[in-house]
Amino acid sequence: MIIGIPKGLLYYKYYPFFESFFKELDCKLIISNDTNKKILNLGIKYCVDEACLPIKVFHGHVAEIKDNCDFIFVPRIMSIHEGEYICPKFCGLPEMIFNDIPNMPNILSAPIYATNKNNLYKWAIKTSSVITNNRFKIKKAFLTALNKQKNFSCGIKNNSYTLRIALVGHPYNVYDSFVNMNLVKKLNSLGVGIITEEFVPSKCIDKEIEILFKKPFWSFARQSYGSSVYLAHAKTIDGIIYLSSFACGIDSIVVELIKEHIYDTPMLVLKIDEQTGEAGFNTRIEAFVDMLERRTQHENNLSSFGKYLLSKQSTI
Amino acid sequence: MKITFPHLGNTYLASKALFDGLGIDSVIPPPSNKKALEIGSLYSPEEICLPFKIMIGNYIQSIEKGANTVIITGSCGPCRFGEYCEIQINILKKLGYYLDFIVIDAPTKNGIGKKEFLNRINKISSASNKKNSEKIKALKYSYKVITLIDKIEAKAHYLAGYESNKGECKTLLNKCKLDSANSTSPQEMINILKYYKNKLDKIPIDKGKNPLKIAIIGEIYTILEPFANLYIEDKLMDYGISSSRHLTPSWWVKDAALKPLKLNSLDLRIASRKYLPFYIGGHGRECIGEVMLAKKHGFDGAIQIFPMGCMPEIVTKSILPSISKNEDFPVMSLIVDEMTGEAGYITRIEAFLDMLERRKNNNVLYGCRRRFS
Repeated sequence: MIIGIPKGLLYYKYYPFFESFFKELDCKLIISNDTNKKILNLGIKYCVDEACLPIKVFHGHVAEIKDNCDFIFVPRIMSIHEGEYICPKFCGLPEMIFNDIPNMPNILSAPIYATNKNNLYKWAIKTSSVITNNRFKIKKAFLTALNKQKNFSCGIKNNSYTLRIALVGHPYNVYDSFVNMNLVKKLNSLGVGIITEEFVPSKCIDKEIEILFKKPFWSFARQSYGSSVYLAHAKTIDGIIYLSSFACGIDSIVVELIKEHIYDTPMLVLKIDEQTGEAGFNTRIEAFVDMLERRTQHENNLSSFGKYLLSKQSTI
Repeated sequence: MKITFPHLGNTYLASKALFDGLGIDSVIPPPSNKKALEIGSLYSPEEICLPFKIMIGNYIQSIEKGANTVIITGSCGPCRFGEYCEIQINILKKLGYYLDFIVIDAPTKNGIGKKEFLNRINKISSASNKKNSEKIKALKYSYKVITLIDKIEAKAHYLAGYESNKGECKTLLNKCKLDSANSTSPQEMINILKYYKNKLDKIPIDKGKNPLKIAIIGEIYTILEPFANLYIEDKLMDYGISSSRHLTPSWWVKDAALKPLKLNSLDLRIASRKYLPFYIGGHGRECIGEVMLAKKHGFDGAIQIFPMGCMPEIVTKSILPSISKNEDFPVMSLIVDEMTGEAGYITRIEAFLDMLERRKNNNVLYGCRRRFS
């Protein structure tokens, strides 16, 4: 049996689990290529216009491999923490794919509630019902896959640079180097090191969340907000770059929340969409890095004009 | 304490009845208008959805009239609405308005919890010096008001296609809203609503007419708040078309009350099972259910309205074309934001109605009907 796995959305974070699970069940896997121009164009062609870029890219990945496999695996990730969701579009992703793309093969779309082991195992049983009836084999595959995922860690942390910024954003924007136009390499070549949200311990994130009036109910919001505010308060970074896709509903809230709580830490919001204009993108990054350099090397921190040094408190 | 609240269709009547009954001073914001939207778009984050912007406008306009406490409902669904309160508090604080925000959130385990919920309710109820029995009575009255006005509105919208004297339903509905807004006590408001309900029953109708029937579906705020959808229901009444909308404030109350028992909107859940068997947040699943019900009840078409960037409705928008094709049922999607131009909007509605009319009279030479028959 051939199963297609599109390389989009949360694939970047959970691929060890999904890949080894299906491999253990003796399935042949077809994984789509890294995102490229052709995949992007396919996605734009099939997807509804209003959707955000990652969803469109995912459509492209599905469209590329759909003719070569018996089943396409479209993860319907409902929640990965108790009481938190991912995003409405993730919950309805299989429906979007099925209705947008013509001539789809069968879809594996059982809902994933990864809040604990038992709930995830329910998903494993439901999904593998079309592959095998051997419960023992499923259990074994599930445990192996879970182990693989536990040993896997992603994230970027550069230590050998003078400047250091937090690169915040959804994992599928940060790790897909076509979509973000090689942002990580560009920053490194400008002499800027990067730290991503994976290196902030979840205890520290929880602490930052507590000061909010309302506990965020999106896992992305919790991660992005908590980690960037923690890093800004700990003064271990010189600035924040928030990588956001155009028309992302979650980011429209999270960016505001971060801005509210980081005081004077510089922050750049980079919007990406399917109109990939690289020149303007570069200009913004370079200007931001220039500004950071001047801030740390040439200028002192006292404001030459205006009443307050910090936006929230008066220090003079 | 002077309480205000954002507009949502006719809920201002129920809120007025409630606060009048409780004896709490309240300010009804001026009906959502262009100025409110301008204020809202000025101060809101750029990419947030339209309801947020209109709400900010509502708050500021009623603050100018002396309000100092805002009441809104919250939610913990995956839709953005649940996060509104936090950002709105920050925005208004930055503008220098020191307000009390009372967010009525669901008392669930992952949310604010029972204790905090009762705390917040108590904040409102302690401002009233009425007896407990009178408070419960006020709550009852306000529920009665919202069910009555919803019934009257639904009936007026439906009868607009059958009325003998054109425009009678619309005039009556507008008069009803105006009179009940000017009432001084909840009891009086209910009497007024009952009077108009009887009057609506006596409107001369022509049963021989066979008007177009259209279902209004989509995101709850934009279909309930007439300003947000550029008064689409009034326009349809002018065209002599029967329209119907499943989502109403009274439906919302019932749905929210029955949710813990999992008995909420069974009809919609069954109808939507084929195309969207999961709750995806907002009212996405309801939207699919409404289309299927509209088809079942012999409607001619449906118009979906949602604000730009609404996450659940984007999912439904990609499902609707398949439903339209498989079930032979025309659906049009209209997306509104602060830049929506009225002329283009009207053109699209008129073109859609023309198309439906031709389909109905069976004088279409080609297209869906022939292909699927």
